[in-house]
Amino acid sequence: MLSLKIAWRNIYRHKGKSLVIGVILFLGAWIMTVGNGIISGLNEGLKENIVNRFTGDIVLISDKQVKKDVLFPMMGESIEVISGYPAIKDVLTQQPYVDKFLPAAQGAAMVLSDAGEPDLYFLLGVDFAQYQKMFDNVETVEGRLLKPGERGLLLTTVNRKMLYDYLTNYWVIPENCTLATANLTPEAKANIQRLQVRDKLVFMGFSDKNTTLDILSPVKGVIKYKSFNKFWGFFNIIDLESFRECFGYVTAADSSAQVDDEKKALLAMDESNLEGSFSMDGLVSEMKTDDSIFDSSSIQKETEKQQIAIDTDKGSFNLVYIKLKPGVPLDVAVKKLNKALNDAHVNVQAITWKQGLGQIADMAMLMKGALFVFVTFIFFVAIIVIMNTLSMAALERIPEIGMMRAVGAKKSFISSMFLYETAMLSFVFGGIGIISGIVTVKILALMNITTANEMLQLFFGGDKFQPLLSMSDIILGIVQLAVVTLIATIYPMIVARRITPLEAIARD
Amino acid sequence: MNIVEMKNIKKNYPLGETVVHAVRGVSFDVQEGEFLSIIGPSGSGKTTLLNMIGCIDIPSEGSMKIAGKEITTMKDKELTDLRLYKIGFIFQTFNLIPVLNVKENVEFPLLLMKKYSKKEISERASQLIDAVGLTEHINHKPSELSGGQRQRVAIARALVTKPGIVLADEPTANLDSETGGYILELMKEMNEKEKTTFIFSTHDPDVIKYAKRIVRIKDGLLAE
Repeated sequence: MLSLKIAWRNIYRHKGKSLVIGVILFLGAWIMTVGNGIISGLNEGLKENIVNRFTGDIVLISDKQVKKDVLFPMMGESIEVISGYPAIKDVLTQQPYVDKFLPAAQGAAMVLSDAGEPDLYFLLGVDFAQYQKMFDNVETVEGRLLKPGERGLLLTTVNRKMLYDYLTNYWVIPENCTLATANLTPEAKANIQRLQVRDKLVFMGFSDKNTTLDILSPVKGVIKYKSFNKFWGFFNIIDLESFRECFGYVTAADSSAQVDDEKKALLAMDESNLEGSFSMDGLVSEMKTDDSIFDSSSIQKETEKQQIAIDTDKGSFNLVYIKLKPGVPLDVAVKKLNKALNDAHVNVQAITWKQGLGQIADMAMLMKGALFVFVTFIFFVAIIVIMNTLSMAALERIPEIGMMRAVGAKKSFISSMFLYETAMLSFVFGGIGIISGIVTVKILALMNITTANEMLQLFFGGDKFQPLLSMSDIILGIVQLAVVTLIATIYPMIVARRITPLEAIARD
Repeated sequence: MNIVEMKNIKKNYPLGETVVHAVRGVSFDVQEGEFLSIIGPSGSGKTTLLNMIGCIDIPSEGSMKIAGKEITTMKDKELTDLRLYKIGFIFQTFNLIPVLNVKENVEFPLLLMKKYSKKEISERASQLIDAVGLTEHINHKPSELSGGQRQRVAIARALVTKPGIVLADEPTANLDSETGGYILELMKEMNEKEKTTFIFSTHDPDVIKYAKRIVRIKDGLLAE
């Protein structure tokens, strides 16, 4: 093809300008590819480390809950209670796009120092076995994890350090464990001679409704979260029933309580008759005793059986985490779910994980947005520089282009010549840029760069910097390169098309 | 038959706040096969007139027909096609495509036409290159040729499409007198052989003597 031949030879003839344009295309393509890889890595990281490991895609909260950023609330702000979970469960099991769900309760409880000064610590009350199936996001540092149906606390390393700083000289260890000096903070190590250990903590439920209850919770294990530990490490995990007792929620045991006929009759009795029931004649009667009924070990066994038999679904929660099946857009799922919940007259609302996380999600999205703006900025810089260089090239070739027009070349021929020149440069240099970008992303991922800085963790989408490029990201990079090429060529093409044969002669 | 018909042709150019009247009302016809020279001093309007005949510029007023077609009402695409099929150009500064060699430069207009096979294009180009005596330089780029050689390539290119008219604006201005004479002899020979109409502009008296007909122009008007 004639214009292709002329275009190729012009690239070679104007090596300097071609190289300038080529380098810009290379850099632009490389930056856009690496940028796309970082953004994809951030998205996947957030998906894996936040959605898959902590929040789920959707969170259900009470419809009375005004502030939606419930997952990381200000200390002391309570979350509205959700009751009637079985009805919610029915609705959720009927939704084909819902994969898994887990009810939970979250709140801040007080721990008092020896001097009586309070400090607040987050508690997340869950059925731990179900929690692990849903998120699998914790690992033990000391002790063990909670057993199914067991009461107890999993204390995070972050909170253990905070407790040490607050309680002074007290180091919390799991029950039946010895002090692991390797895990002591430097300050605790320095103070080891005077260090006292505790394996139980007293929590006082705290809410802005001024209800307070104390629970003594044995520490079964010290844990850390597998990712984003600096954020999630504020949340200790406790069994649901302990949480409910601490915060005055309806427990499963409460819901399971059966009132027998005698008690019903007593409750129904008129007050005035109440005293008559306690006359001395009927109050005490002789009873035969049988030692066997007071055998304490059999009573204990019955009590244990009672505990295992409690269905935790029957108590109160304040959150339900939901994971969606792949392929369902989040906003569509939220809309559908809210409609279904509304139709079923259950008093909860569905929000996205981003709404639930509030500022943390905003920061992550801000970083993603900043990166996207940077890549787009490079995109436009590339366009402008290439456009200017090509426009100057067009003006320098007025005699040549004017002559072509004089002998019968149409404007479309001139346009195609410019387009082919830029397209060839784009294909070669841009192509090398994209391939280099792919290699760079792979190398960065293999380097396993980690950070302890919280802001960088948000940028990384996790503890590790794991950029990744899917086929759609690579195609996106190619499309971006093609768009840069086209847009950058439009103005120079217009300049070249406007060159008249008269200008070719007039210049001479 | 008249290949060029001009009636009261005028051309005005705005120049800042004034208007330059380059051609003020010229009327004449050119017959097929003529070897005509338009002469006049610098600024007389001869180049402007030649540009209008070549459909590179459009008259501000008047009527101009090239090969029977009125050009004053034509659109850019039609004018481009007319230049491709009916008109050949020989510029003062040759204006060859620097990245194409001699053969490719001569083939260029035929390739634009998109109606001949590669073989036909190659044969026609080779014929003309031979006619202008440049066969041994067939693969050379313009930068490897002398001024006279480049002008010969331009002549070959101008004739390759067998146009009705060849326009040459000061074709020997950048050549020495011997080479210039050779070029003019070549043009005359092509005129006689191919019966192509040649219209060239000049103010060089040595060049004028080659013309069979002379049209004088002064201050934008025909002079006797």
